[in-house]
Amino acid sequence: MALLDATSHAFALLFSGDPALWHIVWVSIKTSLLGLMLATPPAVLLGYLIAMHRFPGRRIAVWLAQAALSLPTVLIGLLLYLMLSRRGPLGGLEWLFAQPGIVLGQLIIGLPVLLAFTLAAVQALDPRYAETALAHGASRVRVMFTVLHEARYGVMAAVISGFGRVISEVGCALMVGGNIEGETRTITTAIALETSKGEFAQGIALGIVLVTLALLMNGVLVLLQGEAHNPGARL
Amino acid sequence: MSALLTVHGLRKSYGERLLFDVTRFDIEQGAAYVLTGANGTGKSTLLRMLGGLERCDACSVEFEGSRLPLYPYPGQLRRAIVYVHQHPIMFSTSVGHNIAYGLLARGVDRRQVRGLVDAAMAWAGVLHLRDNDPARLSGGEKQRVALARARVLQPRLLLLDEPTANLDGAAREQVIDLIPTLAGQGVSVVMACHDRDLINLPGVRRLKLRDGQLEVR
Repeated sequence: MALLDATSHAFALLFSGDPALWHIVWVSIKTSLLGLMLATPPAVLLGYLIAMHRFPGRRIAVWLAQAALSLPTVLIGLLLYLMLSRRGPLGGLEWLFAQPGIVLGQLIIGLPVLLAFTLAAVQALDPRYAETALAHGASRVRVMFTVLHEARYGVMAAVISGFGRVISEVGCALMVGGNIEGETRTITTAIALETSKGEFAQGIALGIVLVTLALLMNGVLVLLQGEAHNPGARL
Repeated sequence: MSALLTVHGLRKSYGERLLFDVTRFDIEQGAAYVLTGANGTGKSTLLRMLGGLERCDACSVEFEGSRLPLYPYPGQLRRAIVYVHQHPIMFSTSVGHNIAYGLLARGVDRRQVRGLVDAAMAWAGVLHLRDNDPARLSGGEKQRVALARARVLQPRLLLLDEPTANLDGAAREQVIDLIPTLAGQGVSVVMACHDRDLINLPGVRRLKLRDGQLEVR
C-alpha cells in the first residue's frame, strides 16, 4: 500500500507543476544535453578515424575505447573532484559543486559510449561506400560525411545511448555537483537523496520522468529508422 | 592512337605469394579493353590499384607527360579515372543525387549539375528513375545508374569490374550496349570480365592475366 500511496502522490506532484521538481528535471536535461553536445563531435570523429584507418596501436585504441565503457562513473567523479577541487589543477575554474562541473563529468562519461557505438556503426558499414565516394572524387572530409550519413542510424543510436548513460548516472553528478538544491541537484541525485530520507513520492515522480525521457528518445530513433527506406536528398 | 596511360611496375603479392608482376603496359586513348584471366589471378586487384583503391607501393604511371606514383594516389589521376564496383553501391539518397554525387564533390556549379545529370541519365536509360530510392532498383538498373554516375564525370579512363556479372536477359544486354558508346566518346575503358559477349564486342582489345604476367593481345 505504501508503494501505491507513494505512486499516486508522485503523479500528483508531477501534474501539480511543482517548481522544485521540474527545476531538478531541467538541470538534468540541460547538463546532459550540454555534455552530450560537447562529447559528440570529438567522439564521432575519433570513432570514424579508428574504424576507417589502419595504424600501429589501432587494436589498443579499440580496446581502450571499449574498456572505457565500463569505467565506473563514481571513479570519474572522484578523479574530477580531485582535479576541480581548490588544490587541483583545474581548481581555478571553480567548477566544483557547480553545473559546469557536472557538464564536464557528463562529457567524460558520454564520450566512450558515443565513440564505441560510432566505431561499431562505421565498422559494420560496407567499405564500398567509402571507396565509391573516393572513386568519384570526394575529398577525405567529404568521404567522412558520406560514410557517417550512411551509418547515421548507428550514430543516432550512439547519441541516444550516450544520453541514456549520462542522464541516468548518479556517482559523478553527486560527487562533482554536490547535490545542491536549486543548483546542482539532478534527477538521479535527487532520487538517491529522497530515498535515503524515506520520501519516496518525489523519487518515483523523478523516476517516471527518467523513464519517459528514455522512451521518448528511443521513440525518436525508431521513427527516424522508419524513414530509412525513403530517399533523402533529392536533386 | 596515343597512350593515355603507361603503367610501370604494377606488382602485387600477398606474403610469399606473387599475384602479378607487370613491368609495363599502355592504355590507349579511347580504346576499350577486356581484362580476362582465371578466378584469383588478380583482375579486380589490378583494376583497384589503377583506381587508387588498393595500395601499390612501387607502381607508377605516365600520364599527360608526367610520371606519377600510384600511391599515394595523385589528384590528377583521381579526376581522370573512375572505378565502378562489380556490385555498385548506392548512397541512400535518390537516384538523381547518386549520379550528381561526384559532380558536387568536385565543386561543379549546382546550376550545371542538373543538366549534366539529366544527360547522363538519358544516356543510361534511367531518366525515369531520378527520384527513386536506389535500394529498390534491380541489379541491371543499379549497374546502369553506376555507369551514368561514372560517365557524368567525363573520365579519361573508366575501370569496370565485371559490369555484367549476375545480370541476365535484357538487363545484361542494356549494359553491354552502353559500353561501346563510352569508347566512342573518347573514354578509355578497361573491364574485368568473363562475359563472352563483352569480350567479343567489335574493337575491344584483350588483356589476359596469366601466371602473374599480363598478356596483351
